[in-house]
Amino acid sequence: MLFAWFMLAGFIFLFAPQNLTNKFQFAFARIFQWPLSIGRNISLSTRTRQPLTDAVSHREYENHIANLTKWLEQEHKKVEKLSGLPDRSALEDVKFILADVIRDSDTSHSELIINRGKKHGLRQGQFVLGDNSIIGKISNVSFRSAQVKLVTNPTSKIAVRIAGLNVGRIMEGAGNNSAKIQMLSTKHKVRVGDAVYADKKIGFLDDLIIIGKVAQYKRGDEPLLWDITVKPVCDIETLNIVVVVVMNP
Amino acid sequence: MRWFRFAVIILTVTVLQASLLDIIAVTGLNIKPDLLLILLVFFAIYCNTSEVIITSFTIGFAADIISPAMGPQIISFGLSGTALAYLHQVIAIKKMSYQSAAIFITGFLAGVVVHFLTYLKGQPTGSNVYTVVFGTSLYSALVGPFLFLPSVWWMRIKTHRFGRH
Repeated sequence: MLFAWFMLAGFIFLFAPQNLTNKFQFAFARIFQWPLSIGRNISLSTRTRQPLTDAVSHREYENHIANLTKWLEQEHKKVEKLSGLPDRSALEDVKFILADVIRDSDTSHSELIINRGKKHGLRQGQFVLGDNSIIGKISNVSFRSAQVKLVTNPTSKIAVRIAGLNVGRIMEGAGNNSAKIQMLSTKHKVRVGDAVYADKKIGFLDDLIIIGKVAQYKRGDEPLLWDITVKPVCDIETLNIVVVVVMNP
Repeated sequence: MRWFRFAVIILTVTVLQASLLDIIAVTGLNIKPDLLLILLVFFAIYCNTSEVIITSFTIGFAADIISPAMGPQIISFGLSGTALAYLHQVIAIKKMSYQSAAIFITGFLAGVVVHFLTYLKGQPTGSNVYTVVFGTSLYSALVGPFLFLPSVWWMRIKTHRFGRH
């Protein structure tokens, strides 16, 4: 009888909506935030063996330069078009909210739990930055914590643009720290190392921000379409702090 | 059964599993021992059947709390723990090698059930699932029996070194 009741409870948890059951996970992450953060920091410090000579990592600089280059390119285009008409800065109405990563909610590192929530202005769909690059979007929010679905998560879909191409495509997570862009015609020239940018999204992102780089491309099942593998430019596993992009706070 | 001690050990192990255990993770697939699985087998061996049912589902709940989706591990750990408890009435799992084998088999079967239920729930299951399940079960089987001794001490369980109890 006891077994039957527990099984029933298990099935209720299994089929209950995710936003309800997530409350248990958020509560655990909040209550044990301190030991979880300490444990995560210790395991990260043992894993990161490179000498800490720079306050800002080389990767972070590279991503920042890639973003600035793209913004500059766009600003030039605007100036050319508008020739002197007043324009506002791309990040004028943006608020960046710093958040600590409490833990990876997943062994495959496709989701994170952070210590900021509705209380701090977070809502579903907002973009999250790590090392100055987009790493994912807010997928669930509680009052004081939130879940970030990483771009590599198999259920993640993000509109992107590849550097040098004037077409937008959808990038889907492929797990294993990579993502795929599949519906791009082979008439477009793609190279390994091309930057991939998250596309603008009204109310969420006002400018293109780098996500990753093309790691591999080949003809897919459909011979006229590229099957492009994208690797994030940020080492998501070692992230301790992320930044949530809040538009029009 | 000392339930307060049980609660303390479960909370401690859950926090360790979610954070500090990454230190001893191996390969690019982040394979690490599953301490909750080891505890599941431990309680299945050292407790009576009704206690095993409660502990198994509780450990499953703890495992779900630190997983992406709630539900699959409650069911699979509950089923595996209960089955193991009944099996233990027939076969004594006292030698370390038997304990290792029990952890490995339970871990692998529970992992397969979790994968199926996660798929049923419509959640992403990640790549190389079976490699991860196999690796985790093997790693847990190797370290598990060594963790039984401190667990026996903490839970103040009286073990009978010779003969079955």
